[in-house]
Amino acid sequence: VNTAAAPAAASPGGTLTEDGSGLLQPLMGIWAAAYHQKSPDMTIKVSGGGSTKGINDASEGAVDIGASDAYLSSGDVLKNPALLNIPLVVSAQSVIYNLPGLKSKTPGVNASDIHVQLTNAVLAQMYSGAITMWNDPQIEALNGGLDLPAIRVAPLHRLKGSGDTFLFTSYLSSHNYTWNTSVGYGTQVVWPKVSTAQAADGSAPMITQCVKTPGCVGYNGVSYLRQEQSQGLGEAALQNGGGHFTYPTAATIQAEVNNFVAITPPNETISMIFGPGGDTYPLVNYEYAIVSRHQRSSATAAQLRDFLNWVITKGNDASFVDQVNFQPLPQDLQTLSKAQIGLIH
Amino acid sequence: MAATIATPTPPPPPPAAGQPAVPPAGTRQARKGSAGLIAMLTPNGTPAKIRAMLAALVVLSLAWGAIGAWVVATHASAADSLAHADEPYSMDAQRLYLALADADVRITTSFLVDSQPVPQGTLPQSTLAARQQFDADLSSAGNYLALLKNSNSDPRFTAAVAAIAGGLPRYARAVAIAETEYAQGITPTGDSAMEVASEEAHLTLLPAAGTIYQFENKAVSSSSAEATSLPAVILAVGLALIGVILLVLGQRWLHRRTNRVFNRGLVVATAALAVSALWLTIAFGLARSDMGTAIGQGANPAETLANASIKVQQIRGDSILNVIARSGGTSLPADSLARAAEVGPGPGTLLDAATKAGNAKVTAALSQTVAAAPAWYAVNKKGYALGGAYQFTDEQNSVLKTAAGGYGAMQAGIGDALDAARATFTSAANSGASAYGQLEAIVIIASLLMAGASAWGLSRRLAEYQ
Repeated sequence: VNTAAAPAAASPGGTLTEDGSGLLQPLMGIWAAAYHQKSPDMTIKVSGGGSTKGINDASEGAVDIGASDAYLSSGDVLKNPALLNIPLVVSAQSVIYNLPGLKSKTPGVNASDIHVQLTNAVLAQMYSGAITMWNDPQIEALNGGLDLPAIRVAPLHRLKGSGDTFLFTSYLSSHNYTWNTSVGYGTQVVWPKVSTAQAADGSAPMITQCVKTPGCVGYNGVSYLRQEQSQGLGEAALQNGGGHFTYPTAATIQAEVNNFVAITPPNETISMIFGPGGDTYPLVNYEYAIVSRHQRSSATAAQLRDFLNWVITKGNDASFVDQVNFQPLPQDLQTLSKAQIGLIH
Repeated sequence: MAATIATPTPPPPPPAAGQPAVPPAGTRQARKGSAGLIAMLTPNGTPAKIRAMLAALVVLSLAWGAIGAWVVATHASAADSLAHADEPYSMDAQRLYLALADADVRITTSFLVDSQPVPQGTLPQSTLAARQQFDADLSSAGNYLALLKNSNSDPRFTAAVAAIAGGLPRYARAVAIAETEYAQGITPTGDSAMEVASEEAHLTLLPAAGTIYQFENKAVSSSSAEATSLPAVILAVGLALIGVILLVLGQRWLHRRTNRVFNRGLVVATAALAVSALWLTIAFGLARSDMGTAIGQGANPAETLANASIKVQQIRGDSILNVIARSGGTSLPADSLARAAEVGPGPGTLLDAATKAGNAKVTAALSQTVAAAPAWYAVNKKGYALGGAYQFTDEQNSVLKTAAGGYGAMQAGIGDALDAARATFTSAANSGASAYGQLEAIVIIASLLMAGASAWGLSRRLAEYQ
């Protein structure tokens, strides 16, 4: 039921609560403000806490919407089959680093235009302690045009369960037998013991920690890209399924998503890591709203349907998503999401 | 037996001349109400009484034929239905469930074990073998569904059939996508597709198969109760006893009137009734005994074992699903523990019930399951603990490799016991169903013989009054 055109009739006044993904939180805040402006009698209360919290809270009915960078696990679905994971928007994750002294061998290239090229295999070795220096021959081999500083690698990861960790370790696990069979992927993993490793609790602390640590390599959602750039952190170009190095742009993110549209199932559970193609960015995901199809009242259900339908249509306008470097849902995904939203009652 | 004519005895004299055949009109008018009606209907004089006896015996004969044949037909039909339709349907429903569960466990295990580096676009031989078995399982499931789909008209049953028919293509497509992604080395996408497939299996296909199985089991219980029910048989045997008593009393009455010891017709009628009633009683007794064995030592332990097998599959499926899900959640381990407690061994568990109900072969076959269970449960518990500690690789090794042997031993023992229980059922149920043989026709023929013999014998007596 898409009532975005006539919200006043379909959504009586009220408040919807949301928590979860820190990656989505900035955009959710923007959406909440815009939706309230459009429907003054509706308020969306936004808070973060991480994807794991979003999933758990939505599952327990503590919030109306749990936001997550990762789709629901089968364990969550079997425990609560009424839960839906509905993609709201396309996101991506960037690999960040703090490399003072990094410069191009080509004169005149601005530091902001430099992207250290990394493969998932090299990243896995940096996180497992096998590569300890930024000027390691394996990294230099990937970056012939750069002067890499002799700084120790300081892998930075999230402290608690996180959708970001799920995405990043998924990238490390693809085409990577060693990582997949020693660490694997998940919202939380047992990180290899590395003396320089650090952990941060949340997306913003990841930036803070990385800024404080020369040699840091970390991961964060693209919605924090501007903050990272403004604080001098670099953004790596990652090797994609076609063997090329790309960094997250509208074109590369959309190209990656398009690889997976045809095989996205009706419940929209899909991992979009490392798709084929030369122009794709390999670390892309949907930002999911975790919602129960059974609501406490028909009024709440109507409010949720109205808000979520607005989010995947008007809320996907460039005026919103560009602010956090997200991309709109492809048309086919919008159709699937609408069908799932229609199940809320 | 020939009737002995002791002394030729003339028929009793007709009423004396002038003696009224009916009471005087004045007396008739004096009688009121039911007494008058009875008097009107009461035959007077021996010929009239013989005619009334003849009519009563013909009605009794036909009633015996109708009721006896109905009782035989309903019991034979229920026994036949139990032996050749309901229990086979129940077994098919169980096989449908196990085919789906096996498909899910087999393909998931194979993909997880083999989704490691291979030349792009190819799959290891073990995965190909698993894929072939998976395809065979889905094909079997489709065949069983086709056999079962019209066996029950309950809307919940047809909804379950439709759920499987609709879900199988979705399930197969998700598995195909996973296979493609694994072959390309994109493990997370392969895993996400397998999560979709497993959710389809665990939330749609297997519950629907469970519903079908429950309905088929209810049909078995219903046919079993019908095939061994006593009231109708007691009614028929009671009617036969009353008939025999009436025939004997009729013989005595005729003997007093005619001095003939036996009326040949009534003797034949009595013999026909007694033989057919005795035959029915013995046949029912044999059938009931055989059906009791079939149900008690066959169907009941088979149902219990089928439930145990299904729960063992669920325990295995959940532990594998937990490997894919990488969620470190608590719902799957909790479900697994609860199911293990239901399966047993131990007092009140499914294995305990099957051991007690089954024969020696069932008990012997279950011994390896009982022996393997504690170690298998312990390995499963360890696997969940590893997953809870985010040690996914160790969890995967524990679940897919270490626990595989215990699971195989559990299912092998249950499978052998199930085969033994089914063999017992089939043998005893076939024997029970055949106990009635041509009894229905025999009862009908006996009733017609009764009617004919009674009419012939009494008509001869009547003829003597002409």
